[in-house]
Amino acid sequence: MNHSRTDVVVGIFVLGGIICLGYLAIRLGKLELFGNAGYVVYADFASVAGLKLGDPVEIAGVKVGKVESLALADDRARITVRLEPQVKLQEDAIASVRARGLIGDKFVLVTPGASDKIIVPGGKIRETESPPDITDLIGKVVGGDLTSKSEKKPE
Amino acid sequence: MKRYLTVPVIALILLPIWLTPGSAAGGVPTDQIKSTVDKALVVLKDPRLKPASKTKERREQLKQILFARFDFTEMAKRSLGANWRRRTPKEREEFVRLFSDLLERAYADTIESYGDEKILYVGERLDGDYADISSKVLTSKGDEFSLNYRAHFVVGEWRVYDVVVENISMVNNYRSQFNRVISNASYEELVRRLRDKAAFPIQKN
Repeated sequence: MNHSRTDVVVGIFVLGGIICLGYLAIRLGKLELFGNAGYVVYADFASVAGLKLGDPVEIAGVKVGKVESLALADDRARITVRLEPQVKLQEDAIASVRARGLIGDKFVLVTPGASDKIIVPGGKIRETESPPDITDLIGKVVGGDLTSKSEKKPE
Repeated sequence: MKRYLTVPVIALILLPIWLTPGSAAGGVPTDQIKSTVDKALVVLKDPRLKPASKTKERREQLKQILFARFDFTEMAKRSLGANWRRRTPKEREEFVRLFSDLLERAYADTIESYGDEKILYVGERLDGDYADISSKVLTSKGDEFSLNYRAHFVVGEWRVYDVVVENISMVNNYRSQFNRVISNASYEELVRRLRDKAAFPIQKN
């Protein structure tokens, strides 16, 4: 009888511990997601090089959402972003992938548009701008220099 | 019996899809833009219009060709962004005029320096009444850059509302510039600057 009572107490303790751990895990996990508030829109880019899950979506430097998924759709990058419920995007808003500084973290910058139409939840940001490839640009500058020199006609 | 019916039924289902402008025979937006660009290139290559004395005439012809294909009102609207909605119809009209002047001054010289470029149309993406036409420009020096047109379908025609060069959108570029002026000063200041520019044409080097 006594023996089994200790067992019960220990059992309750362990159970309590597990519940606490579970709660902690959920809290920490959910803290990242901030619940499921807001709504989701998606956008297709030619490239989103360097963008990661959870990267911020900003309007005028203010964070209004985050990248929720990255996937491939018809050879293009499709990202879905979760925006805060009070944020309204016009149909001609432009989303572009930008970096802080030359090699800094990437984020999605949205510039508000002029249209009266608002993008509905689940809708698409049609206008996108992919990040210019720095390596490509450097290559072009170097390559361009070489060709223009070699093709320069002697005066 | 049933099998014979399948084809007409599928055709009937697909018919409305074929008839919508967005999916009408793939390549219509590209064809329309190509014809405009080709016309412009003909004018640019025309030896009769080459001499400096003919510059005005040539520019006038180019303007007519490009104005038919480019939707400057939409471009101006998108470039002004959120501020557009706060402007009165009269202000909007003036802004569109100033904006087309700005574009003309900024790009006339660049466009006129072209002529020997090869243009390849590499792809087209349709999305309802919107299309994204990708092309590549090969210069005589052997350089290559991407030139994409964003067009929308209005009154039976595809009209360009944004030009994306090497992934840089012209509209987005102007939108951030205009917004900076407006938030640092005011819309009136932006208009004043655009007017000043119109009064004193920029000198190129």
